[in-house]
Amino acid sequence: MAAETVMVVGMDESEHSQYAFHWTIEHFFSNSNSSSIFKLVVVHAKPSPTSSFALAGPGAIDVIPYIDFDLKKTASRIIEHAKTFCENKSVDNVHFEIVEGDPRSVLCDSVERHKADMLIVGSHGYGTFKRAVLGSVSDYCAHHAHCSVMIVKKPKSNH
Amino acid sequence: MEQAGETQAKDKEVAAGGDEMGKEIKKLKVLVAVDESEGSLYALSWFLDHLFFTQDGEVDQIFLIHVQQPFQPFVYPSGPSVFATTSVIDSVRKAQKQNSEALIARAVQICRNKLKEIKVQTVITDGEPKDVICHAIEQMNIDLAVVGSRGLGTFKRAFLGSVSDYCAHHAKCPILIVKPPQKLHQQEVHPHQ
Repeated sequence: MAAETVMVVGMDESEHSQYAFHWTIEHFFSNSNSSSIFKLVVVHAKPSPTSSFALAGPGAIDVIPYIDFDLKKTASRIIEHAKTFCENKSVDNVHFEIVEGDPRSVLCDSVERHKADMLIVGSHGYGTFKRAVLGSVSDYCAHHAHCSVMIVKKPKSNH
Repeated sequence: MEQAGETQAKDKEVAAGGDEMGKEIKKLKVLVAVDESEGSLYALSWFLDHLFFTQDGEVDQIFLIHVQQPFQPFVYPSGPSVFATTSVIDSVRKAQKQNSEALIARAVQICRNKLKEIKVQTVITDGEPKDVICHAIEQMNIDLAVVGSRGLGTFKRAFLGSVSDYCAHHAKCPILIVKPPQKLHQQEVHPHQ
């Protein structure tokens, strides 16, 4: 009787989001019938080349294609890794997306587009100050996404 | 009957362990925080609807925690009318306890209505909710905590109350924040176009 639950997972290159992705797959997709219950959408927000640096100078325009190429390579590497992981775990009801833009709006936007029931993000575990200065995608999503949000944290190693 | 189900699940676990590691079944220890708000009970039923499995032994028990705010007898108005005698404190505590138990009973009923074989363990404690919940997560080795969120206003987007925000930052395990359904949001008028 349950309709498909749509989950969007936000991914970037950080270890934390890899961990969040692995955690999700291991806990919710290890059943054989999980493909009928869940639909997974993996979204990578590719930063636009102009936003990831600030260059002023005559050569700036020429550098942009190189940076764009590099970003595209990173993005496809991330998605390839996600695809391989899904195949290894026999997850087949999964859809991959690379969207250009700021991660916060990209993730909230994907939630709307896919009518997701849940958004899963990792978290850097910043303290209050760092979070205020560097900004937090997980914070923004937790406040503004129109669905339930799961924040998965990579446990800190014990010292 | 419950025990037979448990051993069956355990057998499956052992059998699956012999396969490649991709088919490991992980039992998830889930804690749901409930309070008097409708948001937390909605969070509980949402979680049970969408993410709870009993067939493959993924999650078969659920923990509910309710934190009572401690009654402060010292915050009474300093007028001639009321001051907190021990009998007043006792009766307030008793009323509080009754409220908590009724609330927990309601939550347990929601669980039983959705899934009859579910095992529910409940915890009622005193103290500051955010600290107690994070502490409980550490002590009980919780794998996933579920909290509700107050949806405020129709024009404003829903944002988190202080407890869910605090837990999202400080808890040692993944947190699921369940928001109430956005019924009226779609009817918002957008003046700027």
